Amino acid sequence: MLKSAWWLLATLLLTNGMAANVIAAPVTFNTALPVSQGEVLMRVQAKYLRATNDPGPMDRKLTVTAVPLVGAWGITSRWTLFGIVPLVDKRLKTNTPQGRVTRDTSGLGDITAIARYTAYAKDAPGRTFRVARFAGIETPTGSDDERDGLGELPRPLQPGSGSWDTLVGIVITDQSLDQEWGADASYKFNSRANDFEFGDEARLNVSYHGRIGTAGPAGGIPHFIYAGLEGNLIWQDKNRNNGMDNPDSGGTTLTLAPVLQYVTMRTVTGAALQIPVVQDLNGNALKQDYIATLSLRINI
Amino acid sequence: MKTIAQFLTGIIMLWSSMVLSAGTQYDLRVDGLSCPFCAYGIEKKLKKTKGVDAVEIDLEQGVVVVNTEEGVKLSEAQFKQLVKDAGFTLRSMTEKPLP
Repeated sequence: MLKSAWWLLATLLLTNGMAANVIAAPVTFNTALPVSQGEVLMRVQAKYLRATNDPGPMDRKLTVTAVPLVGAWGITSRWTLFGIVPLVDKRLKTNTPQGRVTRDTSGLGDITAIARYTAYAKDAPGRTFRVARFAGIETPTGSDDERDGLGELPRPLQPGSGSWDTLVGIVITDQSLDQEWGADASYKFNSRANDFEFGDEARLNVSYHGRIGTAGPAGGIPHFIYAGLEGNLIWQDKNRNNGMDNPDSGGTTLTLAPVLQYVTMRTVTGAALQIPVVQDLNGNALKQDYIATLSLRINI
Repeated sequence: MKTIAQFLTGIIMLWSSMVLSAGTQYDLRVDGLSCPFCAYGIEKKLKKTKGVDAVEIDLEQGVVVVNTEEGVKLSEAQFKQLVKDAGFTLRSMTEKPLP
């Protein structure tokens, strides 16, 4: 049961928007906007997840802090390569036969590499519409055998999954000077490691951002202030342990996130608060309270 | 009469040398520029180009103004490729000598 919803929650936190979201665009997921050939962008985020709604007697309280570092390199005007290096800190308080305990871990998570190809681009004055496909691989760089005084930590509490996982997706972005909308859909194929396999994940995200103000120095490029709303629908299959489905794992979550962004030529500073509005999780799964995200993107 | 001819010849030569050595201003109409963060990519790409002296972007108008150094000329095909490499589309271009 401990393995049930943790992975879903951790997945929401650690992979949510990590893929290719490094341009002025949604905070919680991808964009199809271009990275110039030969140029490098960086993004750093601070994410904090809290999940304390435990329907069972264990009174679990989970917090996860993550700092995913993302680098994007424009190979050509259509091909972009992304590298995502997550640093994680996970902490769980739960009731056990020995009393209430805290189990925690921190360190490097699983590094992901993603290639994105812009399949369609239609530019107009002050506006662009783009469709991009992406595919990636998550490598088992994070430790998956951490232990504490109670023994080996449950798999979802480990910094890494231990498995090689792949993902594919499509992202659509329509941005003008005054507004932007975006949508992406992706599927992640999780594989088995150490007789454990996290359930596959499917995601559907949508966003709308509107320009609410302009700032910055007179002359030159102005600074834009955006406000918006983003929605994230995530489904995860049940985990499998030694070939058996875990009935207390997987499920469907829908979050809505108000978003605020300040965009200059060199930086995009943003914040989002993802609040679950639907949590249809299997079995006795731990439900999340919120995910808070601070984001900074930098044109190198 | 000879003095006047020499004076006019001198003026013409001086004017010619000024025209030939002055830089050029290119006004590029670029489609797809839709946010400040995106504009940086095209500015950086153009500024890296040899002979480019200055780049100014009017985001609202979708116009990128490029000034080149003395004696440097860039073709529309070159600009088209540079803008494409930056991820955008060159719609049109005009050029005039810098004053």
